[in-house]
Amino acid sequence: MPSPFSINGGACVAMVGKDCVAIACDLRLGLQALTVSNNFPKVFQYGDNVFLGLTGLATDVSTVSDLFRYKVNMYRLREERHIAPRTFANLVSSSLYERRFGPYFVSPVVAGLDPKTGAPFICGFDSIGCIDFAQDFIVSGTATDQLFGMCESLWEPGLGPDELFETISQALLNAVDRDALSGWGAHVYIIEKDKVTKRLLKGRQD
Amino acid sequence: MADRYSFSLTTFSPSGKLVQIEYALNAVNQGPQTASSATEKKSSSPLADPSSLSKISLITPNIGMVYSGMGPDYRRLVDRARKVSHTGYKRIYNEYPPTRILVQDVARVMQEATQSGGVRPYGVSLLVAGWDEGILPEGGEEGSRGRGEGESEGGEKKKTVGGKTGGILKGGPMLYQRGYFPWKATAIGKSATTAKTFLEKRYTEGLELEDAVHIALLTLKETIEGR
Amino acid sequence: MPGFDFSNYNRNAALHARGVPLPKATSTGTTIVGCIFDGGVGIAADTRATSGPIVADKNCEKLHYISPNIWCAGAGTAADTEFTTALISSQLELHSLSTGRKPRVVTCMTMLKQHLFRYQGHIGAYLVVAGVDPTGTHLFTVHAHGSTDKLPYVTMGSGSLAAMSVFESQWQPSLNRDQAVKLCADAIEAGIWNDLGSGSNVDVAIITADKTTLRRNYIKPNERTAKLRSYVFPKGTTAVLNEKIIPKGDLGKFISVEELTEEGGDKMEVDT
Repeated sequence: MPSPFSINGGACVAMVGKDCVAIACDLRLGLQALTVSNNFPKVFQYGDNVFLGLTGLATDVSTVSDLFRYKVNMYRLREERHIAPRTFANLVSSSLYERRFGPYFVSPVVAGLDPKTGAPFICGFDSIGCIDFAQDFIVSGTATDQLFGMCESLWEPGLGPDELFETISQALLNAVDRDALSGWGAHVYIIEKDKVTKRLLKGRQD
Repeated sequence: MADRYSFSLTTFSPSGKLVQIEYALNAVNQGPQTASSATEKKSSSPLADPSSLSKISLITPNIGMVYSGMGPDYRRLVDRARKVSHTGYKRIYNEYPPTRILVQDVARVMQEATQSGGVRPYGVSLLVAGWDEGILPEGGEEGSRGRGEGESEGGEKKKTVGGKTGGILKGGPMLYQRGYFPWKATAIGKSATTAKTFLEKRYTEGLELEDAVHIALLTLKETIEGR
Repeated sequence: MPGFDFSNYNRNAALHARGVPLPKATSTGTTIVGCIFDGGVGIAADTRATSGPIVADKNCEKLHYISPNIWCAGAGTAADTEFTTALISSQLELHSLSTGRKPRVVTCMTMLKQHLFRYQGHIGAYLVVAGVDPTGTHLFTVHAHGSTDKLPYVTMGSGSLAAMSVFESQWQPSLNRDQAVKLCADAIEAGIWNDLGSGSNVDVAIITADKTTLRRNYIKPNERTAKLRSYVFPKGTTAVLNEKIIPKGDLGKFISVEELTEEGGDKMEVDT
């Protein structure tokens, strides 16, 4: 039996640009080699500019995304303000570590803009909540190895929103084309100070 | 007659009062005087070591608390407030709680003591002052939603923005009293009424730190004199 | 206390019993060292985090804050070092607030070892604890099973052998601050070059009685050179099937707080 991280397949990537961030995911949901759905997004929005990408075991992706929906809603009601990406990242981290000895099989990615300074913020986690604060890009999912290669070569500092879109899209599409378990289209979010642009990409359906 | 209802703190009297809780509030007024975030330091015995009497306590690096009423009750609440700021907030979000959240947590502890069996209510009034990090950009009113910031000792700004939510969006100084409402300046304890009348006269918007401290001390002086 | 949630434990154990491998946690392969000098103590660490053979983070922070005068270097399971040090830091802060004294290094070390011993090595944190308190300068190592050592110079992690070779050949009983920092940095560099689990940069923290200095990326021997050409794609390279612009919403969508006017209705009684 394969690792729970590679039963359903899926890939996610986040990147920092100039005054913007991007987060993208593929759309496949599979049961090992059998593709069950080509419309299973793995990026979730938790505020004006707080996004969470979740790859791993699909049942846990759904559970964890709903759990954070609940936690963020409770935060918003209690504090009467939106959660900031960094605060959200710490919430994700402590929630995952709480299950240190019975983890969810997910590898989350957080992307957003700091509401106070407007600075881009991205980070990734392992399944027990260790945060990886990267300054460039974060990858997760079954195409992790391919995405690392694509991002290391394509990413460069100071990309504007349009350039960032092309870079993250090409990195994701070309990575998932070399991964049998992910692909089947992609969602890309470009997060800027005053707006968020969500795009559906044309990807291979094989 | 009312005595018949004073055996239990959770039994209403026919007039709709909880007499034990009124007694607790009376206990508060026996206590020494506290204004803004300055406090008088007066002990019952000349033999007491003054350095061991501390009424102002730091809860988090940005929140302080002061009391009027029963010292032992206060110290329990300080411990609870410090603990809850870690277990209920810092260990989850890796940051200290905003003043309002901390005040709510402490208020919850105090409220529970008014309807739990086998306990008595806390015989203290608290004043909590803190400085919060906002989450919206500094300056630039456009699109900003914030509340009128309370002015306190340790404060330096800020204009009322007036808006839809009470969240800590802009940051700035905060001052709360038990019962948790944000104040610009307030007093608790024996001569709270006189002190508040005095503060109402002296308080102005946009006080400098030095002036706020000065007014707090003046208030105390005014109300302590002649005792 | 952490209060772990074991509700997924049985599911995961059942899966594991059917041959599903355990999830790979980020580990700080790591070289960490510490060294006492005259008047203080220094600790240092590399900055590579690994997940199996993959470098997960090229510039992570392995020096953890405990209190202003106590710092920890962590090796082993990254999440465990992060959260164990944060928990003890939090407990020490409450302790020092209620006692009105500065936290002591032995207190920190004892709390760490008791916590780790309770979990019988399942919390994979291997730590170097260093600090200066009113009782003097201290340097300890704490292993995941709860054992501790007190030594003038220590190394831990997968690069500990490489680092120890530097200490064993160059350490001397009396060192000044700069010599100690150089020695620590050299020991970490030995780990960076000779241990595959360690890499990237050197972080150093120097603790003396009056202040603590954190030198993040004290040495950067592995800086990435700028790319010789740009790989930016021309706009329109990627085929888009659908595009939607999500405007930034208003919190009023979820919450609205009405301002109470003085005249409107009964004024709320706020104080007696």
